[in-house]
Amino acid sequence: MSDYKEIIIDHYKNPRNMGELAGADKIIDEANSSCGDLIKIYVKMVDGKIKDMKWQGIGCAISTAGASMLSEKVTGMDKGDLNKFGEAGVVEMLGGEINAGRMKCATLAYRGLLKVFN
Amino acid sequence: MFDVNKIREDFPILKRKVNGKTLVYLDSGATSQKPELVIETMNKYYRETNANIHRGVYQMSIESTRLVDESRQKVARFIGARVEEIVFTRNTSESINLVAYSWGEENIKAGDAIVITKLEHHSNMIPWQELCRRKGAELRVIDVDETGMLIDQKKQEVIQENGFKVVLGGLKDLLDLKVKMVAFTGQSNVLGTVTPVESIVKMIRKQSSFSLILVDGAQMVPHMKVDVAKMDIDFLAFSGHKMLGPTGVGVLWGRKEVLNKMKPFLYGGDMIGEVKLTGATWAELPSKFEAGTPDIAGIVGLGAAVDYLQMVGMENVHNYENEILEYALNKMEELKEEKIVTLYGPDSETRGGAIAFNVNGIHAHDTAQILDNFGIAVRSGQHCAAPLVTSFGVSAMVRATFYLYNTKEEVDYLVEKIREVPKVFA
Repeated sequence: MSDYKEIIIDHYKNPRNMGELAGADKIIDEANSSCGDLIKIYVKMVDGKIKDMKWQGIGCAISTAGASMLSEKVTGMDKGDLNKFGEAGVVEMLGGEINAGRMKCATLAYRGLLKVFN
Repeated sequence: MFDVNKIREDFPILKRKVNGKTLVYLDSGATSQKPELVIETMNKYYRETNANIHRGVYQMSIESTRLVDESRQKVARFIGARVEEIVFTRNTSESINLVAYSWGEENIKAGDAIVITKLEHHSNMIPWQELCRRKGAELRVIDVDETGMLIDQKKQEVIQENGFKVVLGGLKDLLDLKVKMVAFTGQSNVLGTVTPVESIVKMIRKQSSFSLILVDGAQMVPHMKVDVAKMDIDFLAFSGHKMLGPTGVGVLWGRKEVLNKMKPFLYGGDMIGEVKLTGATWAELPSKFEAGTPDIAGIVGLGAAVDYLQMVGMENVHNYENEILEYALNKMEELKEEKIVTLYGPDSETRGGAIAFNVNGIHAHDTAQILDNFGIAVRSGQHCAAPLVTSFGVSAMVRATFYLYNTKEEVDYLVEKIREVPKVFA
């Protein structure tokens, strides 16, 4: 079960920062068209940096863990930081091994978050 | 005598390992595996015969042309068609697009209606959706019940979104004289629902006498004996790669009288009669619809696939698949009773070799990936039929599909490993 590391299962079963964020500056919807996964991302911004991120959604273990872990990672990041973090950062965050067929799941929240700065 | 172990020997890929386990391939609904006969025939074509068709007077070009003609004859015999009615395309999607553009552009106008069903694969949905949008015609969709069977009568629902209107209703009520095309699947790629083609066609001919009929045969032609001469339909679309043939070749069968009245779809080489700088005339059927060099090796391979299926016998294929499906459904029902899975779709009597399910509480992609770790290939997601999948209140499903090379032992193995899935997240 190479993709299902303990850390993924932990975040899947106890997702962090899941819920609505009152007074969010930006709300982004992102979808994965091949499997129908949906995520809604709420962020509060200060000086072009992410101050707070919360999210809601339905998804598989990989996309759920991806969103949960990302929500803990991105506080304080600006556009440049997030770009630098990249999809490689997402894979590393999830334990370093995501099979190619699951990359869209893994990066669902990340792709949504990039739109915050559009 | 049908012997699955002998059949399996003809499919070299079934010997390979996946994640250290012997492959259990349960995704033939997406694409089938290929027998040695198909692989070798194509190999031999490239090694010994390769030349472009129709243009050369030299030996190899004549041989190539003859091989393509023979494949066309084989496919025609296979579905009870006249040979000039077989148009080679890339796949089912292209076959349906050919009709939607070539016939649709000339014959559909504002105020007309096109009928499809909620069971449709996107390939038999989007071409009609877009045609209706271009022409201001009405798209009508036959709804399904909670087991995935087409509904005869129900209160009509009008859905208005994206500047587009769709009428959702029962088969009987949606058919009237405004309808110019009814396009429906012979077998659902998700739920396996086998539609009652004969009775639907009768009803269309009675209630919508101006309508043409297209059957999406992508999941039908590979699995049962089809005879277009007896079906009273106008078009049948299917793909070679789902019936043991190579990817890259599909078929559009059209009734000659209808095809003859249609304009070409693609213009260019090989589809012309006489060419002047100021214009051209079109070739006879089927060349009129086959612009450019086709996938010659693929067509030759498809001919070999038809030979193989004929050798086994379509009745044998169909009966054996039914046997496997019934066996698998019973096993899956046990898992359902144990509250491990949720099953979608009809009973085995009205169902082809497909089982759509979810392991309770676990996303389809996670289930499919865990099964892959055991060497089991199943599909997960929306199966190119998003409106159908989501109407069951889920965003995704797992789907196992069966073909003539699958065994009861593989079904047992699948069921055993489905039991492992919840344990990963326990």
